[in-house]
Amino acid sequence: MTLPDSVESVLLDEETIATRVRELAAQISADYADEDDLILVGVLKGAFIFLADLSRRLTVSHHVDFIALSSYSLGTTNSGAVRLIMDARMSVAGRNVLIVEDILDTGHTLDYLLRTFRARRPASLRSCVLLSKPERREIEVPVDYLGFEIPDAWVVGYGLDFADRFRTLPYIGVLKQRVYE
Amino acid sequence: MGLRDDIAKILVPELALQARVKELAEQINATYSDADRPLLVCVLKGAFVLLADLIRHLDVRHEVDFMEISSYGARTVSSGVVRILLDLAQSIEGRHVLIVEDIIDSGRTLDYITRNLRTRGPASLRVCTLLSKPDRREIEIPLDFVGFEVPDEFVVGYGLDFAEEYRNLPFIGVLKEEVVSGSE
Repeated sequence: MTLPDSVESVLLDEETIATRVRELAAQISADYADEDDLILVGVLKGAFIFLADLSRRLTVSHHVDFIALSSYSLGTTNSGAVRLIMDARMSVAGRNVLIVEDILDTGHTLDYLLRTFRARRPASLRSCVLLSKPERREIEVPVDYLGFEIPDAWVVGYGLDFADRFRTLPYIGVLKQRVYE
Repeated sequence: MGLRDDIAKILVPELALQARVKELAEQINATYSDADRPLLVCVLKGAFVLLADLIRHLDVRHEVDFMEISSYGARTVSSGVVRILLDLAQSIEGRHVLIVEDIIDSGRTLDYITRNLRTRGPASLRVCTLLSKPDRREIEIPLDFVGFEVPDEFVVGYGLDFAEEYRNLPFIGVLKEEVVSGSE
């Protein structure tokens, strides 16, 4: 496999990701085995690949929905304020909601999502996150299903982008520092 | 599992589906150059599974964006009048745009989307769809990349739903008639 010029190394290869997604799906399927009203809410754009793979591995019946957000960021600093671009289409009142995110960084986005959905009175509300960067955390948020903890490097692929590039690499790679500096 | 009990027959098994998606990706690789940097426009919700697999086979440089639309009326009687719920995050002026759809039925929704996107001045506009139901066509629209032509049956799986169920099946199946009629 040849890496693009801008990618320094592979952090998680396809096989490793697929195995972990299967494990997460098995865990979620077991936890929701007795529930029949599960909605997976994928956060665009980043989570669509993770959601597509996770959903196909679930053995419990579920619906999928999407939400699109944008953060009010100034350069590379994230103020924590989140703008909702497209809301979920389904009503979640009384249903079991599982938010599916690609990466947990400062925690502001997931915190916003959890607060937003909690106000809609779901029967339960959990989060499933592929990657977490604990060193970056500014606000503590609960994660129920976590794929991998990773160091504080700029990662791309499997839904994660740098200026909309590298999003669709089948693995998760570390971007060379010179690219984002 | 319960969902599979509602399937009358499997139209496209998982392996055949994966092989065809790879072929579509190769056709797309051959159509565009890196300099084109095509923008794949995924029409939600149905096409997200196809997109997730398609892009992993693409070698050509590309970007992805999403549109979510809502047609007035049920899926079986699409009027073709469409409301845009989520518009593209970026401008497509001068860009090579590839619409990625799960299924082309009457063609009305696609017709609306292509007319809408064409007003934005893309450099080119092409369509990739996993499935096409030629028997149902009311408006002819050229399709550039087609996965499978399917008969006029109620198909689900690989992103295609019936009342939001069955999207996550990894194959394309035909829904049992009593499931379709039972819920009406």
